[in-house]
Amino acid sequence: MTELILQALYSGLLQGGSYALIALGLALVFGAMKVINLAHGELVLLSAYIAYSVESGLGWNPVFAIPVSLVVVCLASVMVYLVVGRIKKDREINSLILTYGIGVILTNAILLIWKADVRSTGSSWLQEAFVVGPLYSMRGEVLFFVVSLAMIVGLWWWLSRSWYGRAVRAVSSNRNAAMLMGINPGYTELVSFVVAGILAAVAGVALFSYGVISPAYGNVLTVKAFIITVLAGIGSIPGVLIGAVLLGVAEALTVTLASSALQELAGMGLFLVVLFVMPNGLFGANGRRG
Amino acid sequence: MKSKLALIGALLAVYVGVPLAFGGDSYVMSLVVASMVIGGVALSWALLGNLGGMVSFGHAAFFGVGAYTSALVSMKLGVPVLVAILMGGGGAVVASLLMLPVLRLRGPYFALAILAYAHIFRILATEWTSVTGGSGGLASVPRLPEILGYDLSTKTGGYLVILTIVLAFAALYHFIRVSHYGLALRAMHESEDATRVVGVNSTLLKGLMLVVSAFMCGVVGAFNAHYINFLEPDYAFSGLWVTLPIVAAIFGGYRTITGPIIGAVVVYLVDQLIFKNIIPSGHQLVLGVLLVGMIVFSPEGLLSLVRKFMRKKHVAA
Amino acid sequence: MLQLENVSVTFGGLTAVDRVTLSIETKDVVGLVGPNGAGKTTLFNAISGLVRPSGGRIMFDGADVVAAPMYRRARMGIGRTFQIPQPMHELTVRQNLLVAQRFGTGKVDQKKIDEILEFTSLGAKAGRDAATELALTELKALEVAKALATNPRLLLLDEVLAGLETTGKRRFMGMLKDLHAAFSVGIVIIEHDIETISNLCHRVAVLDFGQVIADGTPAAVFSDPAVIKSYTGAEHA
Repeated sequence: MTELILQALYSGLLQGGSYALIALGLALVFGAMKVINLAHGELVLLSAYIAYSVESGLGWNPVFAIPVSLVVVCLASVMVYLVVGRIKKDREINSLILTYGIGVILTNAILLIWKADVRSTGSSWLQEAFVVGPLYSMRGEVLFFVVSLAMIVGLWWWLSRSWYGRAVRAVSSNRNAAMLMGINPGYTELVSFVVAGILAAVAGVALFSYGVISPAYGNVLTVKAFIITVLAGIGSIPGVLIGAVLLGVAEALTVTLASSALQELAGMGLFLVVLFVMPNGLFGANGRRG
Repeated sequence: MKSKLALIGALLAVYVGVPLAFGGDSYVMSLVVASMVIGGVALSWALLGNLGGMVSFGHAAFFGVGAYTSALVSMKLGVPVLVAILMGGGGAVVASLLMLPVLRLRGPYFALAILAYAHIFRILATEWTSVTGGSGGLASVPRLPEILGYDLSTKTGGYLVILTIVLAFAALYHFIRVSHYGLALRAMHESEDATRVVGVNSTLLKGLMLVVSAFMCGVVGAFNAHYINFLEPDYAFSGLWVTLPIVAAIFGGYRTITGPIIGAVVVYLVDQLIFKNIIPSGHQLVLGVLLVGMIVFSPEGLLSLVRKFMRKKHVAA
Repeated sequence: MLQLENVSVTFGGLTAVDRVTLSIETKDVVGLVGPNGAGKTTLFNAISGLVRPSGGRIMFDGADVVAAPMYRRARMGIGRTFQIPQPMHELTVRQNLLVAQRFGTGKVDQKKIDEILEFTSLGAKAGRDAATELALTELKALEVAKALATNPRLLLLDEVLAGLETTGKRRFMGMLKDLHAAFSVGIVIIEHDIETISNLCHRVAVLDFGQVIADGTPAAVFSDPAVIKSYTGAEHA
């Protein structure tokens, strides 16, 4: 029994890496532009399907899909940015409906191009067992966990050290003041969308490399990313990573102890618990409302 | 006086004229009924947005819960269908009460939270096989009954029922809107603190709007279940019940009461008659494009664009 | 009527209101003064329910109201204006008063609304959109009107005169002078101008760094060395 639980913890941890990338992309765009990109999950899914095509069409290892995904997904992300930028009035609400519409377009485009069947990688290299003590994982899981960690560290470094990264933080916290400092918010928003695209691209390839994908999954991914941001609270990258791992572990435990069909329920349950008990998230800032 | 006459005329047209004109054509009637179902959902969505100030992507939850509640109480507990439909609304209300804690979330977070709830209900309906029949769904959901000798289970009968439902809800929406609560709700969009400081319990009012919207959507969902006599999770909680009503409401102008209904009829008919023939399996894609286009170019709705155009012509003349 | 007992409000490490004890009766017109940042608006926020005190009790008519949310306090009879006017959007001036009265008292009395509109010189603008068609003086008058519509027993006026030029100020002053008598309401008014305060109020409380350092007649308070020191840094003006 303990072995099963340990295994679930381990698998959940590995899964948490990619989940964190997805959640961070969503959070980054929201911070810079106060816009939640409801199509974000679809961007990740797009990348996953590109990996599928690279594998099934060219016969290559899906890992090599990353450069292709980066280009395609970043382009798509920029296009979302351009469309969102066209909204003049009521940006919060209209951008929600807009990105929702884009999500519908992407989901159905994916459905049309790649059909409704469930896909997963056929690469034996990725699926080869990677054993750590009593814990089993696929090589793909471990590889992409390491890649995710590296990217998260890179993101953290970029946000705190690089000029663009700090500009993004400035615009997130006070747009007008940032403009007075000479920061072009439009440019910063564009940068945040591109970075979100990069994160989504890698996460998508990861997803395909050790999981299953289907056209309806884009929606689910966006919800999961949102759940993680609620778990993490506002403004904390380590928080997002921990929240992502928590989600991954909760799902893995549910699959092990209950059934795989209830896997989605795990995240939702976690979400509700946090909402009721700790509305500021596990690591978020505190409010003072009376 | 003129507007009263116009109203009576319109009511006559929809209650008598439509059945007379199309009653014989089963296909057209089924399209009309379906578009009215969408219209009902669109109306409930627009109410939540306009009065409650909340955008929801999870109305499929209310639709599905309403449908299942009504189907189950009529099948397992023998409740008469028309009563069951109201109880379907009640089921959706319960679902909305569970959502009350997310009211305190700001716009985007609220929308996503509702979406998460919708997923939960869909999964529950799929997995709770003993109660809901699982992914196979429920067959032989009881039909609409006979009332005073008139069989409501026909296409025309169903049309009359859904028409009455939608009109009743439109009236309710109107009454709330012109009441003092409507005034307070309007002010709450951009100046919630200003309302609270003079004694408006804004949280309660917002919650009430969620409950009313859920009830409406649940009743429509319940009606639909008894109309098509069949229910399954992927259908009842389908994203189409979210996308179509939103497109309909925005197309027709979500700030008005008639907008979502007219929008639903137009959009649904166009979707079924044109889009489905062009792209059979991904026709939702066109809906998505339509949605994106509308938000970018005319967020107030295409019908309002037409109205503006007509006003310009009047001024010029 | 209003009894503040050792009320404190802290934000993180900052103590904005420090163990304030104050008591206001319906017959009072009290001025609340003090240097910027002394905690005056925060005190108002605590009384009206916008923030939760971290300590002490706020008794209104003998009952501790700390647990009551903002809207409930309005219905109890605590009215409040905001320093930066916050009209209710998308409604006309009359509708603003209608909502305030309907939800603040539970009833609608059009005559009373007309009276208030008349008193605050808003009669002519009753049908205008409150958020977009009023000048600053009128917005400030609306703040007072809205609060009056809730039939308050205690009225908290937060710098209603700030930003007004001389004629507007004078007209407003006239209105404020009659407020207490016309509506039988206890008033606490935050203002910076010493002359205005001395003119309007029979009693003044001085706040500095969140604490009450003086409480008495204007003459007594404004010649108090501690008060002078808090404003100027020196013992004598």
